[in-house]
Amino acid sequence: MNTDEYLNKIIEGVIDQDEALVAKSVEEALGADIDPMVIINDGLTESLKKVGDLFAEEELFLPELIGCGEIVTNVMEKIEDKLKGDGSISKKGLMLIATVKGDVHDIGKNLVVLLMGASGYDVTDLGKDVPANTIVEKINELKPDIVALSALLSTTMPGQKNTIQAIEEAGIRKTVKIIVGGAPVTRAWAEEIGADGYAEDASTAVVEADRIMGFA
Amino acid sequence: MEPKLNILSDREMLDIDQASRALLWEVGTLAENEEAMDLFEKAGAVVDREKKLVRIPDHVINEALAKCSSCVRLYDRKGGEPLIIGGDHIYYGTVGIATNVLDFETNEYRQVICDDLKDIVRLSDVLDPPDFILVPATPTDVPASIVDVIETKILLTNTKKHFIAEAQNRENCLKNIEMAVEVAGSLEALQARPFFSTLVTLSSPLHFRNDGVELIIECAKHGLPLFIESGPMCGGTSPATLASTLVMANAELLSSFVLAKTVNPSVPLIYASWARILDMRAATCSHGGPEFGMLRIGTTQMAKYYGLPSGGGGILADTKSIDVQLGMEKMGTGLLPALADTNMVVGMGLFADENAISLETLVIDCEIAGWIKKVKKGIEVNDRTLDLTVFKEVGPGGDFIRAKHTRENFKKEMFLPKVMDRGFLALDKDPEEKSMRKRARKYYSKMMETYTPPELPDDIDDRLDAIINK
Repeated sequence: MNTDEYLNKIIEGVIDQDEALVAKSVEEALGADIDPMVIINDGLTESLKKVGDLFAEEELFLPELIGCGEIVTNVMEKIEDKLKGDGSISKKGLMLIATVKGDVHDIGKNLVVLLMGASGYDVTDLGKDVPANTIVEKINELKPDIVALSALLSTTMPGQKNTIQAIEEAGIRKTVKIIVGGAPVTRAWAEEIGADGYAEDASTAVVEADRIMGFA
Repeated sequence: MEPKLNILSDREMLDIDQASRALLWEVGTLAENEEAMDLFEKAGAVVDREKKLVRIPDHVINEALAKCSSCVRLYDRKGGEPLIIGGDHIYYGTVGIATNVLDFETNEYRQVICDDLKDIVRLSDVLDPPDFILVPATPTDVPASIVDVIETKILLTNTKKHFIAEAQNRENCLKNIEMAVEVAGSLEALQARPFFSTLVTLSSPLHFRNDGVELIIECAKHGLPLFIESGPMCGGTSPATLASTLVMANAELLSSFVLAKTVNPSVPLIYASWARILDMRAATCSHGGPEFGMLRIGTTQMAKYYGLPSGGGGILADTKSIDVQLGMEKMGTGLLPALADTNMVVGMGLFADENAISLETLVIDCEIAGWIKKVKKGIEVNDRTLDLTVFKEVGPGGDFIRAKHTRENFKKEMFLPKVMDRGFLALDKDPEEKSMRKRARKYYSKMMETYTPPELPDDIDDRLDAIINK
């Protein structure tokens, strides 16, 4: 088998939501001396892009999207454990994510956490109803590449604006890329409040993060 | 439990039964056809040859009912399990007579041609439901004298699903049978697994037309299933009370069953009705109002009262466009018969007061039928669905969307719409972009990619044409 065949087997396994097959295919690919980063980027992460496309085409449902995300997360952890410390694994970047102050909805935000993690990012989840100053403190502490802000209600959307203002006032706006999302959020709103990116749903959040990080 | 709805009490059904029998004895039914009068006489009815009036005594009705089966098995040509018409089984089908189509490309009404019928049959073949296909449109580009046999040819060559054929007289009914035998290989093969039935529409009030009589006699002779419909219009061709409309629809069906069972006691019969009202403003018959659904529950209950397989109109609409009225009428007239367990609900695709069909309405009706089917399944309550394990795993404050339990159950427990839009309100996008009609068009194109025509011998066209042109 050539590299593409190994990778296609991994991709098909994820789409079929067959974790055992994905794990086995990854073992085979590692055994065939395929670069672990190639397996991660062109196999596992690529499979989630395909899953995201199928989701957008209404071929797959949310629980299936989540199931695929979990399979990739589990398998990726195994690869990382195995190759820890030998320098062959690198992450795309660190994302800090929170549902903004006043908003207790986090199902959508949790999906972004899952899919971003499964797509090669380190993710730190600050949870829900998070005040702007907490987010500023965490940026100073963790130095993330991306800050993602979620709001489900039109009444809590201003929390995204307030958080961005707080980040600016703290003088650290230029150190991070900010991405916003949530049902009522539009690209126009993202631009109005000075965010760098906007995503309609969890799988486009990955695409948008890759875009603003220069991976796409 | 399955949700069910009755509109008649046991006592009311008995009253309607008794009134129907009294009607057939005291008033009787017209039967202008000599052969029909002979058969009714043979069955034990009193026939006045001069007035062509047939009066049927109670015991003759009882004898006919005693020869009926509680279930009719309708086959397809895929070799699968038959549709079991009877009990609480519910199947959905298209329905005929539309001579206009709302054109998919131009969005304008025009007359149906053979290619339209072909398109509609092919879409009916790939959608699920329809479970069976009643000739869904009447082409206007062929001579009226052979349109029914051309329809049958289009059905035979474009689908393997069970279909209900139309015929305008004995000659064409026999041609339908001959074509089906050509495809089946032999009459015996067709009789063993009848993959088509014949539609008989009775005429009200209490009047056997020649054509109806001929179809009943020929299909009964061949032992092939009959889907017999009565369709009185309350206030027009039946008295202006819903109860007496039920009496008349019932009496007409009982008299037709006497005729069919006298020819052949083993002919499979389905008791179907379109009993409806005459609209007192437009003088059209209405198929989208509350009475239509109510009468459907009533006629279905009467079929079950006698232990007969039932059918009738449903998922219908009077509206002339694909609009809010369409959704309202089709859901109402689809849900009510289903709640009464009407075994064969016919109406998918049809709208504009029986005058038009479109590919989009057929797709929309498939979605409506799916919605109704979900309701009919009820809520499954048992040890499996009440299991507390998942509560314990997720715990208070957690979310269930990520649970494996959700992945394993959501498809079983939830209706997953194909055409309805449930996305969030995107203020920066055109809300019309996701309208049901647009989504139906998209789904149509996607589904048609999966269509494959039935495999038939190369010369089948010539062989069927030879029968048609005899």
